[in-house]
Amino acid sequence: MAHQRVALWAAEPDLDDDINDADVDIPIPVPSSTNEMYDDPNLQLNEGSLQAMQQHIAQQAAFEQIPDIVKRFIVHFHQAVLDNNLQEVTLAYESGWTRLTEKYYAKTEWPEAETIAPLVNDDQIFLILYRELYYRHVYSRLQPNVDDRFHSYENSCELFNYLLNSDGPVLLSLPANWLWDIIDEFIYQFQSFALFRSRPASKTDDELTMLGSEGGAQAWSSYSVLNVLYSLIQKSRVNEWLKARAEGKSDEEIEEIVGEYGTKPLYRMLGYFSIIGLLRVHVLLGDFTLALKVMENVGLGQKAPFTAPTAVHVSTAYHAGICYFMLRRIPDAARIFTGVLNWVMRARQYHTRSYQYDQINKTADRMYALLALCHVLAPTRLDDNVMNIVRERYGDQIGRMGRGEEGLSTFEELFLYSCPKFICANSPPYDDPAALASMLIPPTPTSPSSQNPSVVLGDPTQRHLRAASAHFMSLTPVSSLKSLLKLYTSLDAQKLTGFLDTSGAGVNEEEVLSWMMVMKNAGRCVGRVNTGGTAANGEKDNDEGSRPSESLLDGEWMSISDLNFVIDQNMVHIAESTVGRRYAGWFIRNSEHAARVLDGIKASPLPPRTVPTQVQKKGGDGPKAESAPRTTGQKVAWGGVKVA
Amino acid sequence: MAATTAWLSPPSRTELIENLVSGVDRYNPSNVGILEDYLYHQIRSEEYDCLANLAILKLYQFNPDLFNPDVVINILLKALTAEPFPDFNLCISLLDDRPPNSTLDEPDPLPTLLPLLMNLYNLLHQCRFSAFWVLYRSDDLEVIRENYTVECAGFEDAIREVAARSVKATFTRISNERLGTYVDLSGPELEVWVAKQRWTFDSSTGVVSIPPNPDNQIESVVIQEHIKLPQLSKVISHTVQVK
Repeated sequence: MAHQRVALWAAEPDLDDDINDADVDIPIPVPSSTNEMYDDPNLQLNEGSLQAMQQHIAQQAAFEQIPDIVKRFIVHFHQAVLDNNLQEVTLAYESGWTRLTEKYYAKTEWPEAETIAPLVNDDQIFLILYRELYYRHVYSRLQPNVDDRFHSYENSCELFNYLLNSDGPVLLSLPANWLWDIIDEFIYQFQSFALFRSRPASKTDDELTMLGSEGGAQAWSSYSVLNVLYSLIQKSRVNEWLKARAEGKSDEEIEEIVGEYGTKPLYRMLGYFSIIGLLRVHVLLGDFTLALKVMENVGLGQKAPFTAPTAVHVSTAYHAGICYFMLRRIPDAARIFTGVLNWVMRARQYHTRSYQYDQINKTADRMYALLALCHVLAPTRLDDNVMNIVRERYGDQIGRMGRGEEGLSTFEELFLYSCPKFICANSPPYDDPAALASMLIPPTPTSPSSQNPSVVLGDPTQRHLRAASAHFMSLTPVSSLKSLLKLYTSLDAQKLTGFLDTSGAGVNEEEVLSWMMVMKNAGRCVGRVNTGGTAANGEKDNDEGSRPSESLLDGEWMSISDLNFVIDQNMVHIAESTVGRRYAGWFIRNSEHAARVLDGIKASPLPPRTVPTQVQKKGGDGPKAESAPRTTGQKVAWGGVKVA
Repeated sequence: MAATTAWLSPPSRTELIENLVSGVDRYNPSNVGILEDYLYHQIRSEEYDCLANLAILKLYQFNPDLFNPDVVINILLKALTAEPFPDFNLCISLLDDRPPNSTLDEPDPLPTLLPLLMNLYNLLHQCRFSAFWVLYRSDDLEVIRENYTVECAGFEDAIREVAARSVKATFTRISNERLGTYVDLSGPELEVWVAKQRWTFDSSTGVVSIPPNPDNQIESVVIQEHIKLPQLSKVISHTVQVK
């Protein structure tokens, strides 16, 4: 209407004023003019501009509420990004953002990107990065609603579009931490969305429509996530780079191989982190062999080609360990976990500030639980430090699991605690309401799936749990067998059956023999050849493990049990292998320590002359007389007492 | 690397399949036909390629409309023969929940057959071979036998191989009847099979002897540590410096 039109004009001079003084209640003069000219033809335009105007006002209000410190921080941050000033960006990212979040935004969201747009002159690139941080905050501190999820997906798409599809490599320079967090968060949001969408029962109608729509089906689809990761890897040619480095090529050759994208650290790091990201995504989708396959060129040693954030190593080790665990290669899994846990324990004091600190701790806790499980499934001697902690935390669980069938619930509990939240690659059929409804209604008695309700393929975590539990159950007789066999060198199978039958379960000889075979099988598994280290039963030569091109899936059959037996007709012959006393390490360490102490003493200055007269008296014959009887002992080179 | 090289890249895999399995093309749904043909080739010619089969399952995971339960059952059967490798478990891991698929011509046999297959797998994994054969020959599994394993060349022989591996590792001598229950053979057939395994069959005592292999030769070992020269280098070099 007329008065609104006037208001628009009247309000504008206000907007151009000093922004900080913008008044929420913009006075809208209400002239009583009834000029009909401005009615219908302009109605739509007025509506539209009215809305824009209202939005603008709302933004002004929000902007008003941003504390000054935050505004200054944003401007400074923006400047640093524009200047490609890596140090400043790192500082702002690591400490500035977290500090301000703690202070002002601990329970609420940061201001919307549109609100702060004027501060950064609407720099779209910066706004994309800002939104990335904004949504990360929402996901971690608050509960994202379905809108947030879709928007964050769009934002991620824009970001990756910008990085991948601009002409030529982008001139940004961001710290490694941030890049890893981008990839990590992207996958985390994907996982979160997959979990969200796989529970159709508790959705509101709005959410159902959104999920069922065209855009809904596309958002966070597995293919697009995988596409992003693969494209980053391919664009930066990081696999070729890793291979070339491993082969020791010179820098110029490497530059040629990786092309213009690969030489920029931004892309190289993104590519490297994407490989780890792929490892994680494949684990979440349940494809463990493929996960290990993509890590071919990276390897699992702790020598990253550049200083990667701690979180990267921890994440890699955790997911690789899960893969080995599900592949039943327990010693490999245990070795990885121990290695990284040792490292984390030592590096812990340096990382209290980082964004990933909580994450790292949580992952470390899960790895301890997994180590406990590994220990139960395949007890081998491991690093003492780590094992002590495991025993401290999970001692009675380990005991319970060792007692056979009753341990199953403990096993499941620990597994569920420590496994990643596996996801389903597909969404329930939101676009087909009938199908969705039939999914929610429990199956009628006549449908085939209800005949065996326990095997309905449900929640993916349950599936993996069942696989692991089956393995655990098959190994339950092993511990009691072991304790019996340890007592004998040879034993008749009948007698053995008799011993085991004391539980009254009616064990017959055939079953016992099956258990023996299981135990034998459990005593061997595929493991990666150990590079160096003490010789143990069944390892092959140590050199083979150091070739960089070998796949993580390679391995040899190796024996991991110290109790070996063989059955001759009905007679069981048992041989136990024991470990001799290991004194070399102890002696060497202490010799070196003593040597260091000695060096220290020799190098330190002489004590001041406190009793000069006495020394002078003994001066002449003292040293000579003393040195004679000393030839038998260790030659000690004392700084001789110099007589002035 | 002997143990896993054959599993990772079987010599029977062609280059085309190799590219599919190792590259990004494995996600392309139109390639599923090639991989399925390869599976049927494996079935007919007694070969086995674990990673290619997992690639098929992964494509099914992402494209539920491509799902073909017959293919899945065949893959699972092949995986059964790969014990003690964990292939069966890996295949199960990739079998996602699927919305009821109304595009199939016949009712989906998978939900009924899957528990049976899992039972078979558990029996094999727990080395209860005689129970395995009993279950396998029973009426419940007639469906599997009629439709699937009959096409799969050498399925039963492959299962016998699994049993043989376990037996080889655990026994030096085993009685005839017991071995017979493990591999579901008896009399002259058993003798032929034993000969193929290169085990010696002593018909007078009815005992089969298994030649020595790393697993069934046991000896008490005291593991001594090897002290290598480089570990001592610091100590030795220090003594030289002391002078």
